[in-house]
Parts: sequence; C-alpha cells; structure tokens
Amino acid sequence: MTLFFKFDFNAICQIVLEQTLNDNDIKFKTVGFGEIELLNKISKDQQDKLETALSKYHIEVVENQKSILVQKIKDTINDMVFNEDTTVNVKSSVYLSDTLGHSYGYLSNLFSEVTYTSIENFIILQKIEFAKQLIIKQDLSLTEIAFRLNYSSVAHLSTQFKNTTGITPSAFQRIISKRRAFNQENN
Amino acid sequence: MLYLSAFVILVVGALTYRSITEVTKSSEMVTHTYKVNVELEQILSNLKDAETGQRGFIITRDSLFLDSYISGRSKINNSFAELKVLTRNDTLLNTNLIALNSLINKRLIAFQTSYSSLPKDDIDDPTFISNFRTGKSLMDSISTKIKSIVTLQNNILQTRKNEYESDLMATPLLLFSLLLCSLILMYVAYNNIYKNIKKLKATNEALEIFKESTNQSEIVSKHGSWTWNVKNNVFTFSDNLYRLIGEQPQSFKPTIENFLNYVHPEDAEQLSEQVEQMKEDVELPYIYYRVVHKNGNIKHLKAYGKSLINEDNDTVLLGTTADITDEIMSFRALEERNMELERNNKELSSFNYVASHDLQEPLRKIQTFLSRLEDEEAENLSSKGTKYIDRIQNAATRMRLLIDDLLQFSRSNKADKVIEESNINLLLEAAKQDLAEVISAENAEITSDTFPTIKVIPFQIQQLFINLLGNAIKYKAEGRTPKIVITHKVVDAEDEENIVKPKKPFYHKITFTDNGIGFEEQYAEQIFILFSRLHNKDEYSGTGIGLSICKKIVENHSGYITASGQPGKGAVFTVYLPID
Amino acid sequence: MQEDYINIILADDDEDDRLFFTDAFEEIKITTRVKTFNDGVYLMDYLNTDGIQLPNVLFLDLNMPRKSGLECLREIKQNEKFNDIAIAIYSTSASEEDIEKTFIKGANIYIKKPSDFKTLKKVLSEVVTINWQYHTNSMNKENFLLRF
Repeated sequence: MTLFFKFDFNAICQIVLEQTLNDNDIKFKTVGFGEIELLNKISKDQQDKLETALSKYHIEVVENQKSILVQKIKDTINDMVFNEDTTVNVKSSVYLSDTLGHSYGYLSNLFSEVTYTSIENFIILQKIEFAKQLIIKQDLSLTEIAFRLNYSSVAHLSTQFKNTTGITPSAFQRIISKRRAFNQENN
Repeated sequence: MLYLSAFVILVVGALTYRSITEVTKSSEMVTHTYKVNVELEQILSNLKDAETGQRGFIITRDSLFLDSYISGRSKINNSFAELKVLTRNDTLLNTNLIALNSLINKRLIAFQTSYSSLPKDDIDDPTFISNFRTGKSLMDSISTKIKSIVTLQNNILQTRKNEYESDLMATPLLLFSLLLCSLILMYVAYNNIYKNIKKLKATNEALEIFKESTNQSEIVSKHGSWTWNVKNNVFTFSDNLYRLIGEQPQSFKPTIENFLNYVHPEDAEQLSEQVEQMKEDVELPYIYYRVVHKNGNIKHLKAYGKSLINEDNDTVLLGTTADITDEIMSFRALEERNMELERNNKELSSFNYVASHDLQEPLRKIQTFLSRLEDEEAENLSSKGTKYIDRIQNAATRMRLLIDDLLQFSRSNKADKVIEESNINLLLEAAKQDLAEVISAENAEITSDTFPTIKVIPFQIQQLFINLLGNAIKYKAEGRTPKIVITHKVVDAEDEENIVKPKKPFYHKITFTDNGIGFEEQYAEQIFILFSRLHNKDEYSGTGIGLSICKKIVENHSGYITASGQPGKGAVFTVYLPID
Repeated sequence: MQEDYINIILADDDEDDRLFFTDAFEEIKITTRVKTFNDGVYLMDYLNTDGIQLPNVLFLDLNMPRKSGLECLREIKQNEKFNDIAIAIYSTSASEEDIEKTFIKGANIYIKKPSDFKTLKKVLSEVVTINWQYHTNSMNKENFLLRF
C-alpha cells in the first residue's frame, strides 16, 4: 500500500523550532513565521548548542538583516500563493511593500541580490510549484487549477508552466505517475 | 410395394384355397346324396324281396322262400347301418330315417305275425286277411316314405348341384382376375426395380467419378487421406498417401507401424505420441512431421484428423495428410528475405540515426565556437571576417536543420513504439505549446474540434501535429494572418475515395485547413516524398523532410494522409486513422 | 547563506564540451565550483569516495565510454546518500520519448546541449538558480523537473 502526504512545511518548521527552543530551556515569544524574540539573554555556549540542534533539521539562524527581509518576502509570497484564505486583490508588488513596509524597488533589488532571481520569477516559480502539487493530487482539473491560481485561462497556465519547467502540465503528470510506478517496481 | 405384393399374393392364395375347398365340398355332397339314395333304394328293393319271399312261402309253404325273406332282412339292417353312418350329420334325414326304420320294423313284425298267424292253408282266414292288409298298407307307407326321403334328398342335391356349378363357374373367374392382379403387381415391381437399378447405376458412376477426381485432386494438391478404426486398429490409406511417402499405391499393408518406418527418425517418437493422443482427443490438432523417401528425399507433412463415431459405435478417425514441403521451403525463403530486409532496414536506420546523431556533435561545436568568435572576438575581426562568419553560421544553421529533420525521420519508425489509448486534445495542446513561439509571432489562429481518445503512438501524433501546424504557419500567405481549422469526424471507409484498400471499416478523419499559399494540385503527392520541395530554400527554409515524417507516422498507424491545394488560397491536409 | 558556493560536477567524455561547460560557469555570476570527469567510471569512483563534498547539481552526458550516463543515474538513484543531488542530463539530443524516460528514471533536469555559447550560459545559470530555489526554500524535490 502506498500513502501520499501533503505537508505544511511552514507549520512543521515552526513546531520543530519551538520544540528545540523548549528543549534547550530558552524562553521565547513567537513574532511571526521564522521569527522569534528571546525573552532572556543567552550565552554563546547556549547559542552554539541551539544552532547544532537546529542544524539537524537544516534550520539555520539568519543573522544578516538583509537575509531576514528576504526570508520575510519569501514567506509573504508563499502565504499569498499557497494559503487559500489569503485572498490578494491588489498587485503582489503593492501587497509586498504594504505588508513589509519597504518600497517595492528596494525589496526587488534586495531579493535579486541575495537569491539570484527576481521577485516576479519567484512568485511564478511558487505558483507553478503549487500547480504541480495540485496536478499530482489529481483532485482538480487543469481548468480548476488555473482558476484556483488566478490564471485567466488553462492556456495561460500551460504556457507559464511550459516556460518555467520546459514541459507541459500533462507531460509532468505523466512523468510523475510513471516515475512512481517505476520506483515501486524497483523497490 | 413389397408389402402390398405380399398382401395380394396372400389374398390370392386364401381365395384359391377357399374356392378349391368349396368345390371339393360340393362334389362330396353330391356323392353323399347319391349314396344315401342308393342305400334307400336298396332298402326298398330288399323289403320287396322279403315281401315276395314271404308271399311265396305263404302260397307254397316252401321254406325256401323264407330264405330270401331272412337275407332281405339282414340286408336291410346292413343298409340301415350304412345310412346311419352317412346321415350322422344330417338331422332332418336322420329323423326321417328313424321314422322309416320304425315303419320297416313294423312291416317286418307284420310279416312275422302274418305268416305265424296263418292257419294251415287257410288263406281266407279273416285274421290272416286283416294282417295281410295291414302289411300291405305298411308297405305302401314305407314306399311313400322312401320316396319322400329320396325327393327331399334330390331337392338338396339339386341345390348343391346348383351351388357346385356356380362354384365351378366362379373359380376360374377369380383365378383369372388374380392372375391379372399378379401380372400388374409384377410389372410395377419390375418397373420399380428397373428404376432403382438405373439410379444405383448413376450413383455408382458419380461415385466412381468422385473417387477418381478425389484421387486426382489428392495428387494435384499433394494430399493423402486415411481412416483409422481405433477399436480394431484397422487403417485404410488412400493411394496418394502412399505416393506422399514415395511408395506405389497400396504397396504395403496400411498399419501405423509400417507407416512409421518412413517417418524421419527425429519426428517418429513425437508422431507416435501424438497418434496415441488422437485416440482420446476429440479436438485434434495439426500434426507436423517429416518423412524420408527411399531415395533420401525429405518431405514435410501436415496431418489433420477428425474423430467420428460409426454405426457400430466405434471411434473412427478420418484424416488428411498434406505435403507442405513447398510451402515450408517458400516460407523459409520468404523468412530469410524478410530477415535480410529487416537487417538492411535496421542497418539503414541505425546508419541514419548514428550519422545524423553523431554529425550533430561536431556541428554543434562549430556553431558554439562560431558564437564565441562572434561574441568575444568581434572587435578583432575585419568586416570581411565578420561577414564570412555570418555565412558560415547560416550554412551551419541550415545543416543543423537538415540533421535535426533527418534524425526526426529516422526516429519516426514503428519498431518498439507502444500504441496506447491517448487523449488527442492533449497531444494537440502539447504541439501548440511546442510551437508557441511561432504561433504568437505570426498571430496564428488555430481552431479545432474536440477529439475522442484514439489509439496512437502519442509522441508521433504530437510530432505529426507539430509538423502540419508548423507547415501551415511557415507557408502563410503574404499579408494574411494564418488561420488553421482542424476538424474531426468518424467516416465510413467506403465513402472516402482517398482511402484505398481500407483495412478497417471506419476511420477518424482529421483535416487541417489553412489559408496559406497553397500549391498546385499536381504536386499533391510529390510533397510527401523525402527531400522534395516546391520552393527555393531561400524563400522558405525547409528540408523537404517534414511532410515525409508525417506520411511515415500516419503509415505507422495504418492510416492515410492526403493533401490538396489551391495556389494562393490555402491547403488542406487530411489524415485518416483507423478505428479498431 | 548556508554555503558560499554551489558545487557542480560534470561527467562528459568530450573535451570541447567540458571546456564550454567550465568556461560558461566562469562567466556566470553565481559562485560555483565545477569539477569534471571524463566518464562514468571516474565519476562514480569519486562520488563513492568517503568524506568528499557531494555536488548540488550533477550533469551527466548520456553517451560515455565504460559507463553511460543512464547507468550512473541508476546507481545514484539506488543510493540514498545521493538523494540531495539534483541530476541533470546533459546530452546532444534525444527523442521526446527518451527524454521522458530519463525523467521517469529519476533525472530532474534535461538539457539538450545548445549550439551557441550564450544560450549555454543562460541555461546553466537558470538550472543553478532554480536548483538554488529548491534547495533554499525546502521545496518538494520530487516535483523538480526542468527541461531545456
């Protein structure tokens, strides 16, 4: 029997982070996703121990202010794309600058500098990523997926999918299902 | 007919017998009546003799006269005894005889009384006279009685005589009619027998012809036949079966052992096993084996048997054995040719593939180095040098196009491709995605019907769509945005003149209609030929391979592709894919 | 940042292609370390050496002597310690069907070697960038399919 899971990576990371902090007896307050406020000062030794414990999960303490902002941009974009409850009626650039309190130009330059890609491309990448998840789940038709992701048409979604990944949505679906069958055969 | 004849003969016999018995009976009756009458006359005459004797004795007293009286009396008794026997069955006569007998007895007593009461020589004695008179009257009544009996007898006789005569008259008539009847019957029977014989003769003749033609056809078609009664293990072999194993017809006893002597040693064991199996199986499979003629020739035979149950409830196998040496030989030759062809084909396509694939690599490097030259060394080149590099790039691009198309062509073969139920709409969509760049650059409008799923090789159909759509856009008319209309419908093969020798009754008909430059109708077939081009390569960058690939792909699907065009107006490409 | 540079390995028997490859990465602004191997055997020997730093992206040519790209792909997919490596097939050409087969067998990326240098740089840069996004944003690797 094969089970398929859908992960909420953000929630998982948050839980892991909070547990590890608790395990290390560090008092904290959660400010937002990926951001906590320490209630007591911690020693260098304590910080090293915490970082080692978190590195197991590939969670790292972001020290750089720029990186923190970039992470916030990414989190906001993820929230926009993946969270059904967050309905964004304004342009994403407006939404980002409003949410994060910086001009879009500043955010955009900063983002490209750190991530080697633009905010626009990142949004597309995340949308296509979400589309992939929905395609694999096979609950929704392409038309429904296009609607769900705010594409004007299936053709629009398909074109962007093809431009981003180099393959069509149907080829993607075919490859993933055949790959699963192939892996099951070989295990 | 036979039953009827037997019945008639029986009836004739019975009637004859009956009439003969009647006749015999009639004549016996007549004789009998005569005998009775004779006896009665006898009695009367004896009685008269006795009377005469008595009278003589009375007159003469000479006892000599009494002798005739005594003998007359015993004669009367004899006659009576005779009559009794004769009249045993005749009640009426019997009664009359009994009455007669009592009268005669009375008369005899009267004789006795009269001569014993006779006084010595006194004839006139009154007692005597009265006795005498009584005697006389008794005598008269006896005479009357006899007469009446005789009359009665005569009457009966007359009746019997009449019957006898009529019987005698009827018998020949009956016999004659019976004879006639028999004659008719005989004629009918003969006629029937004659007819049957004629039929039998014809059937026999037909059988003879059939047998001969079977013999001939067995010889011509290299067949032999045999029967095998499994229960008593009796075989019959047809003449030609002997010839099939290189022997004269019926030159040895048909047994399985004798036959196995001719079977190839490598096949003998298997054949005898299969023969054993034949006894049990109802459905008999073909049996293949070889036989070796005495001269060493090896022949391939194929046998088939059918199991039947005959009238005696025995299992009888009817079999046919064919010499398939020629077929096997030609099949082998064909197979060899096929293999050679396949080998050649494989060599050719692998040559094609390797050539085009391996040619790509150096070409790609030439192009990459050229691009680096242009990008990085442009300032070090003279204007002539830049121009030459540009020309080299053009030539290399053209070569790439050719190589790519050739590679595409060599890939569009059928071997090891899987035909699967495919969503044609998705394949068309994927083709459009592939052409997205040119479609948006040319503002091409593509409209299409919705397709059902069709069993195809998906990648090839996608390629077909790409090539046909790409073609339509490439050969667009000056000043017109390309419009391509794709339609689908299911058609009856018989209604489509483009379908020659259809393998399936129904086909998917897919048409691609464009508004491009079209072509002269005379080129409709030529355009599908490899490397054939209708335009100068400076006008349109084509390799002349694209449509050949289309044709190959459609043929891989056992389909048909046709084109028709009107110069300046557009072209229609029609694809037919078979429906299973 | 987790790492200062991105680790790249290429296995290709063609000297010119290896040259184009390393030259291209030199001109891409992303900091990378590129290692090349002449065939699949050398590559696998290296990957199975203890203590080495595994590449972020591994580029495999399909036609190589001794051990082909597909054989390397199979071996890598069978070993869990290579799970984090993104595999890019880097080949001259293949039919659509063969490309799909490499994806099904576990390749993440298929690159048809471009015939001009600018395109090559662009493609390699995009591969690294997108891989970087997958890597740094904990995106589902299973869905990582990319074709050029």
